[in-house]
Amino acid sequence: MKKRIPLIAHDLKRLYTAFIITALVLFVVCSFLTEFNVMTLIANSDAFWEFITEDFFPPALPKTSRIPGVLSSVLVTLALAMSSTAIAAVLAFFTALFGSEKVSPFPRFAKVVRGFATFLRNIPALVWAFILFSSLGIGTGVGFVALCITSFAFMVRAFVETMEDVSQDCVESLQAVGATFPQRVSQAILPSCLSGFLSWFLYCVEVNIRASTIVGMVGGGGVGLTLFSYIKSFQYDIAFSIILLIAVMVIAVDQITGKLRKEILK
Amino acid sequence: MSVNSKENILVLNSPKNKPKRIPVKCKQTNRFIPVFLIGVVVLSVLSLVYLEIDWIKMFSRIPQIGEVFWDLGHLDFANIDLIFTSLIETISIAVLSLLYSLILGIIFGMFAARNVFNIPFLSVITQSFFTFLRAVPTPVWVLLMLVCLGMGPQAGVAGLCVHTTAFFTKSFAQSFESIPDETIEALEVTGANKLTVFTNAILPAAVSQIVAWAGMRLETNFSECAILGMVGAGGIGFVISNSLQGYDYGTAGVAILLVFIVAYCIERIFVRIKKKFA
Repeated sequence: MKKRIPLIAHDLKRLYTAFIITALVLFVVCSFLTEFNVMTLIANSDAFWEFITEDFFPPALPKTSRIPGVLSSVLVTLALAMSSTAIAAVLAFFTALFGSEKVSPFPRFAKVVRGFATFLRNIPALVWAFILFSSLGIGTGVGFVALCITSFAFMVRAFVETMEDVSQDCVESLQAVGATFPQRVSQAILPSCLSGFLSWFLYCVEVNIRASTIVGMVGGGGVGLTLFSYIKSFQYDIAFSIILLIAVMVIAVDQITGKLRKEILK
Repeated sequence: MSVNSKENILVLNSPKNKPKRIPVKCKQTNRFIPVFLIGVVVLSVLSLVYLEIDWIKMFSRIPQIGEVFWDLGHLDFANIDLIFTSLIETISIAVLSLLYSLILGIIFGMFAARNVFNIPFLSVITQSFFTFLRAVPTPVWVLLMLVCLGMGPQAGVAGLCVHTTAFFTKSFAQSFESIPDETIEALEVTGANKLTVFTNAILPAAVSQIVAWAGMRLETNFSECAILGMVGAGGIGFVISNSLQGYDYGTAGVAILLVFIVAYCIERIFVRIKKKFA
């Protein structure tokens, strides 16, 4: 007689079963709520393929007179991501110093600082963009501020975690010999956490490249706006070549940041 | 770095009671970091110059931000039923796209992992295709799906699925590849075929990682989903952008608050689960 040998532990198996049952229940409830059905997607697949093969392929270049504009919009997106992340990183560094109970000169306010960052972080960048659009008007500057807010909040959390992971004994010993707050920061935290901070900074640049494309779509300028206007004017073949351009841009940045991160963490 | 922190505890007693400086700085500093920092500063300054932002105009309008927040703070619960149904729609879209992508991600991750089928060509093709899909931001896919499928949750689910599946394929393939070859070989010796090896050895070993990835992705999917309404799909994003553009700040305030609360809850639950697993 065949005998099955269980390859996973019994209690783990129970946990996984619970997960699968929750997933199934969620699936049924959500399908019911949204009336989403894969079958309709499959039934519509003819129109889908038609769209891909006729409207999308082959990718077409925009008019030659427009090409410099498209390229400069890519530069705007890159510049937006780079500068907003850098400024957010500087602000986040100083805020994070006050957000960690071990480091901050006012440990009581550390929770307040972190809570503020949590609030900023949990509202998506695009919502910030919309709030700011209605107060500052549409433009690249608003996209810049919206990206700054979310990456600032993200980096405050990441920096606080990095500091708490690395340098507690270091900071305590310096405090014991009577070092002041700026001395503690420059002598203990910076040397031990800088590479961690920079690694998070690079991650944030990667995220912001994508986010600045999205913010651009709703009025922040850059390549997102170019793409949006081509899609809205039904020029899908040109839109496809811009999508390819965005993909190339994102992949290139990911490669570069990957290389830089390896160098920094050496 | 750990070497450095040990050095810091050293306290030297100088014989003449003269104050003596103890070097606490890291000795073996990374030469690359200063170069990198200078590069970042130069690039950011260049970027700021290139962007030509009208700072004076921006700063002169700062008081208006305060006004908008003041208006947003006056919560208006008149449209609460509309907000609530769209919030539930948004959550459902996020969960549904997550579940569909989980299944698709496991299937494609199987093709992308090098050790499942042992066909290097297949995994290279799958990996590079999904790298492309992953590089394009989600709202772009949703916009294209809106064109194909028309308005409604279908476009949202399908568009989110594209990006989420691409993300899962990469991360699951990594988890599958981290299974030691010995396990696979041992099962192959008993005469199991590739699919049996996958379902009995590789998948069970990767489940805990899959759950962790799914939890992380749910956070992202929800915030992406809240965004989608703003580019034309339905859900809570549509309510937010619509009421902000219509100067109905009270409704927008309630909607933004709800988005915040849900995102915060998902984050907290996920932190709990992660602690339990770790």
